[in-house]
Amino acid sequence: MNSFWTVVGFTARNKFKGKAFLVTTLIIAVIISIGVNLPYIISQFDTGGDKATNIGYIQSSNENLAEGTATGDSLKAFYEQQENAKLHLVAYPDKGSAEENEKQLKQAIKDNDIKGYLEFGAKTPNGFPEMSYKSEKMMEFSLTENLKGALQLIRQATILQDAGLTDEQVALLNAPIQISTVQISSSEGGAGGKTPAEQGVNMGLIYFIIIFLFMAIITSGQLIASEITAEKSSRVMEILITSVSPLKGMFGKIFGMFTVVLSQVSFFVIVILVNVSLPHNREALSGLNIDLTKIDPLLLAYAIIFFLTGFFLFATLYAAVGSIVSRTEDLGQATMPMTVISLAGFYIAIFSLSAPDSMLVKITSFIPLFSPFVMILRLGLTDVPFWETALSIGLLLVTIYVAVFVSAKIYRTGVLMYGKRPSWKEIRKAMKAYKI
Amino acid sequence: MKPLVVEQVMKHYGDKTAVNNISLEVSEGEIYGLLGANGAGKTTTMRMVLGLIYPDGGSIKYNGKPYSNEQLSRLGYLPEERGLYPKIRVCDQIVYLSQLRGMSRKDADQNLKYWLERFEVPEYYNKRVEELSKGNQQKIQFIAAVNHRPSIVIMDEAFSGLDPVNVELLKSTVKELRDAGTSILFSTHRMEHVEELCRNITILHRSNTVLKGSIKDIKKQYPRERVILSTENSVQGLESISGVTGVKLQEYGYEIGIENEAVGGEILRHAMAQSTITRFEIKEPTLNEIFIKTVGDRNE
Repeated sequence: MNSFWTVVGFTARNKFKGKAFLVTTLIIAVIISIGVNLPYIISQFDTGGDKATNIGYIQSSNENLAEGTATGDSLKAFYEQQENAKLHLVAYPDKGSAEENEKQLKQAIKDNDIKGYLEFGAKTPNGFPEMSYKSEKMMEFSLTENLKGALQLIRQATILQDAGLTDEQVALLNAPIQISTVQISSSEGGAGGKTPAEQGVNMGLIYFIIIFLFMAIITSGQLIASEITAEKSSRVMEILITSVSPLKGMFGKIFGMFTVVLSQVSFFVIVILVNVSLPHNREALSGLNIDLTKIDPLLLAYAIIFFLTGFFLFATLYAAVGSIVSRTEDLGQATMPMTVISLAGFYIAIFSLSAPDSMLVKITSFIPLFSPFVMILRLGLTDVPFWETALSIGLLLVTIYVAVFVSAKIYRTGVLMYGKRPSWKEIRKAMKAYKI
Repeated sequence: MKPLVVEQVMKHYGDKTAVNNISLEVSEGEIYGLLGANGAGKTTTMRMVLGLIYPDGGSIKYNGKPYSNEQLSRLGYLPEERGLYPKIRVCDQIVYLSQLRGMSRKDADQNLKYWLERFEVPEYYNKRVEELSKGNQQKIQFIAAVNHRPSIVIMDEAFSGLDPVNVELLKSTVKELRDAGTSILFSTHRMEHVEELCRNITILHRSNTVLKGSIKDIKKQYPRERVILSTENSVQGLESISGVTGVKLQEYGYEIGIENEAVGGEILRHAMAQSTITRFEIKEPTLNEIFIKTVGDRNE
């Protein structure tokens, strides 16, 4: 047991000491901090920077333009009433002729006074004149949509006023309608149901766990495999295998790497928590209605179980792959299948967040290499019978047991095979010869 | 009971036989030489002794016990190819490797410092292995093999890549280990090292043992067939002495091939009659000659 911890300590210490490790950890921490604070940073720029767009129109007493002027005026009044309106209408005096007016407005655009202008035509049956918005930009859909909405409200207000409704009636007409969703358990003795807030938090937790599991597997898996290959190619392996039993050596390495990844991940979580709890972010968090106390402890427990089992399953397999390859250059190719499998599990889970009860999800939640990703999704978002969870975990544990046995054999055998990548037949034959 | 006994050990790779029925015994405080051309099966034999690979037949006993994980801490291994972490500091990895073999951290560190002093390179304590020259890496590799005070040390080509000064340094260290009671299994291509260090040897050729025994006995089997003669003036008529097979003129004098030792006396008398003799020696065959005789003709 003693030498196991020696290997763990040595592996972890050397990783922690490595400059590359420290630098990447710091860089990621900085990126996370920026990411968390980004909404706040943007809002700081927002107040000064995001001015309303100015739109010009011709204000005229001319009869032909009276309809247009009235529409323009009411739009101007509408936007001026609003707080933080996105649009602002600017009136320009009539110069007499259409050409002169156009020239004047174009000059205004050139002078950066306005972004574009509205031109009015003949009156149409919808109550407003024909309108066109002219500007130097293309595809100003959001702006015209905004104008449309404003005009609709103006028209509604006018008609309602004419109909003689009371203010309460108007308010009632405008009141928003709400439907809340509650996820319930149909099985007996199931929990009382999950409120939208709880669902949101669960969804967040699942997202978080899936992404972290994936990242932990990809980074540490590659590290474990490449460390073993490096030991093999530098022939330290021959000395190691004659010093410590292969099982201890391999698991010491895996566990050491796990310690490294876990502390790295915890460091990131702490960075996130510290950033989130900063005064200016606390408001934003409560605004998003995320209450961390609403996390279901059972789900958290399951999340940890699936994280650990998933990690160790992939780590042992990566170790086996690393011990077959004898040069670091060949490693990428050899770990490819593992990477693809973990990617597949990750994507099945991420893309099924909106459809957690599909057949694909149900089936893959029992397949050991996918289940750490997928089962946690089902647990968080749907109501899973206990036996299914138990079966999934059971299958996972059996697979880990088999993987450990086979990987240790491959490790013991593979580390002494040099030269070309050995064929399956050679590996099988050699494996029979070694005790673990 | 001998620390290391290898009996009738065999190893096959597919149809190929790597080692065929090798037997050897290493006593306490003995350096045992394992000789052979490239690919003769030396490294395979050593790996089997280390438990890196398992023999297909025969047995290997350590102090009378079969191989087990408990034996690991008693073994030291100096591999032919360098086996160190290139990017890790010398102190870290030597202490690590010694700890793996059951030494305490403090003890390992102290011993490492002793060895670095012994090799006159204490400044390497904090250096990374990749910063060191090949010869100095070999010193560190040597320390890695012996730092945990093993009772059996396996050295595969221990002196390769070293300059003459360092070879002497390492040789004297190996002798020290031997005198302290360590059993050493030693392989090399350099016959003069074997003659100097080993009591018993085995010569392997194409997986088979072709010669085995103490160096003295082996040399006795090969007759003394050479006479070295140095004189002040030239000596005539050496070729005409019966029993002389050939005379070569060398810088130092004559190298004379003879049929048996008795002819030596004839030569001495013959030479004394003509000149003053500064050197006369009936040479025993060198291990190099024996090796080439047994292996060389068939060498690939």
